[in-house]
Amino acid sequence: MFGNTLINSVIIVILTVLVCFVISTLLPGIERKYIHARIQQRIGPLVISPGIMAPIKFMFKENIEVASPVPGLYKILPIVCFIVVLCLLIAITPQAYAIPALASLVAIVGLLKLEEICYVLMGALSKSVMSLRMPFPDLAKGGAHLNAQRSFIEDISSKRSLRMITYGSFPLYLALFAPVTAARSIFLKDIVAFQQVNGPFLFTISGAFAAIVFFIGYMIVLNEYPFSIIKAKSDVIEGPYMEYAAKYRAIVYLTRGFLMFVLGAVFSVLFIGVPPTIMSWGILLNIAVALIFVFLMGILSAFSPVFTNRQLLPTILGATLLGVLAIVLGLL
Amino acid sequence: MDEKVPRSNIIETEIPMGTVHPAALEPYRVRFFVEDEIVQEAEITIGVNHRGIERIMEGLPVEKANALTEKICGICSNSHIWNSCRTAEIGLGIEIPERAEYIRVIMGELERLHSHFLYLAHGCEVLSHETFSMRVFYLREIVMELLAMIGGNRVQYGCSVLGGVRPRCDLDEAKLLRLKNDMDAVEEGLTSFVERFMADSIVMSRITGIGVLPQKQAIELAVTGPSLRATGVARDLRTTMFEYDNFDFNVVTQPDGDVKSNLIMRALESFESIKIIRQAIANIPEGKVINRDWEMFDTDFTESYIEVPRGTLYHSYALESGRVRHCVIRTPSMANIGAMQYACIGDQITDAQLCIVQCDPCFTCTDRAIEIIRR
Repeated sequence: MFGNTLINSVIIVILTVLVCFVISTLLPGIERKYIHARIQQRIGPLVISPGIMAPIKFMFKENIEVASPVPGLYKILPIVCFIVVLCLLIAITPQAYAIPALASLVAIVGLLKLEEICYVLMGALSKSVMSLRMPFPDLAKGGAHLNAQRSFIEDISSKRSLRMITYGSFPLYLALFAPVTAARSIFLKDIVAFQQVNGPFLFTISGAFAAIVFFIGYMIVLNEYPFSIIKAKSDVIEGPYMEYAAKYRAIVYLTRGFLMFVLGAVFSVLFIGVPPTIMSWGILLNIAVALIFVFLMGILSAFSPVFTNRQLLPTILGATLLGVLAIVLGLL
Repeated sequence: MDEKVPRSNIIETEIPMGTVHPAALEPYRVRFFVEDEIVQEAEITIGVNHRGIERIMEGLPVEKANALTEKICGICSNSHIWNSCRTAEIGLGIEIPERAEYIRVIMGELERLHSHFLYLAHGCEVLSHETFSMRVFYLREIVMELLAMIGGNRVQYGCSVLGGVRPRCDLDEAKLLRLKNDMDAVEEGLTSFVERFMADSIVMSRITGIGVLPQKQAIELAVTGPSLRATGVARDLRTTMFEYDNFDFNVVTQPDGDVKSNLIMRALESFESIKIIRQAIANIPEGKVINRDWEMFDTDFTESYIEVPRGTLYHSYALESGRVRHCVIRTPSMANIGAMQYACIGDQITDAQLCIVQCDPCFTCTDRAIEIIRR
């Protein structure tokens, strides 16, 4: 239907992104309505409520001015996150394979890292009223440790985000590189081509292990229970997102749903060899994978408390070792 | 068990939380002094919800004052009105009909059930385990409906009055049958929940050895109620209350004083409450529910202690021309605040709110102690 021209490619990518984005807005609702609510024996919200209605509502809310040392940067970070996820999706579409620097694992890892760095900055720049800014006479006579350095709860969240960059997301990156051991290339074009000839990497022993590790990494990157320590309700509350309101909050919600879909699509590309494009029925497989991931994540999160560092570190270590095993098996 | 020593020298960072925090049901301020996310010391400050109920009670007719005490707490409202009436009844020497005593015990134990279920649900909520939390809330709903059936309301029942219980709270055959059936349902649901909860290794790893309060410290800090019993001390005021003379129940204890012990404590104690309610249903005597045959006279300062879901509740006042004088109320959380601060030490800051919650705080009820400084 379309010729292989630049304009046609751009149109296909735009349409693919639009389709994926629309579907991604339903994913948070599916998770909450059909998994969490069903498990918890309650009605739950409308499917379109968390991903569509809530962002629309927030778009038209009055914004509150954030108490941040750099409010401009703080407010732009959700937009940066959204753009990063958008770039990630574009990078895995077949049309992007013509630009090897973009359609490679290095680019995917770089984009995901950028997303994580945004969390660090968000936490560091947020100074909400939930802790230190609350006008409360803490430093009154008789109070303990009046000279201690005082910190906002978002600072903890920022430090945790930094830790997650250094080791928390390690399983995901190991899983991303596992298919490279089979295809012997870091370019998506080669990885997809290899799987189209030799069958999905998922159905190898190495691929099966790597898929488990990818799923753990997927939950860590999405900050879902039990790996939601950077926004644990019991201490840091919303963590990096605490002060986002109105349209910024809407972007946070949209980005989360979009990331859920895009990570599923990344899995489809790397483990099944089916990239997302509206020019192929394979996009249905991308949607199916995204839904399966959401279902699995919903079930696991509904039955898990949040992990503290005591549980998180061994879990990540275990997932990392499994990831290393997947790579070693792939190399053999 | 080793004693935990608060750090008194160099503190790395202070992280204050509150007075508004989603892990806390009530407004309070807590300052955590941490080193690499490990709590070295904690300081809880309450007082933002002071309503001055004792001051309002001063000079009120005793029956109005009794009704006012119910407003102290939204969870143990029945306990307050019961103990306030009890104080006057002790002072005035009023004899309570036995049927009224049984109904008061039933109400007290139903309240213990819903308070303990709220505790379990809130504990799971702070653990971020919403599924468990929801399941306990469903169980609690059965109890809330029973309380509404007897008292006509879900929170302020107004059951106890001077001389017995309000006639509308009397229990007919239909109500007793519903109570009996619902106790079966609650027991079945609770058993199922406890089995599932205990079998969950992830949850157990989150709560075992967290927020440990050794028995020695619990006694030194004058901790009361289930939080004390969770450290292995078999002290329950119900064993000394004349209302419970006809009831057979066990004082449940747990050995470790950690979050796990506290949660299990409440679950096991709930089974004992069901047992008491069943005995009350089976043996409730016939007769009137209120004794109006008493005279008002001036009394000295009278005290009454009862065991409420969170521990020992103290009410005291004198009567002068039928009006309340020198009212003092002391809720269990007042004694347990020290334990909350202590329990946090040495644990991750993610667990700190859990350590506070394990002592079942009710700060809004406790917000009455004031110091008047005369200049």
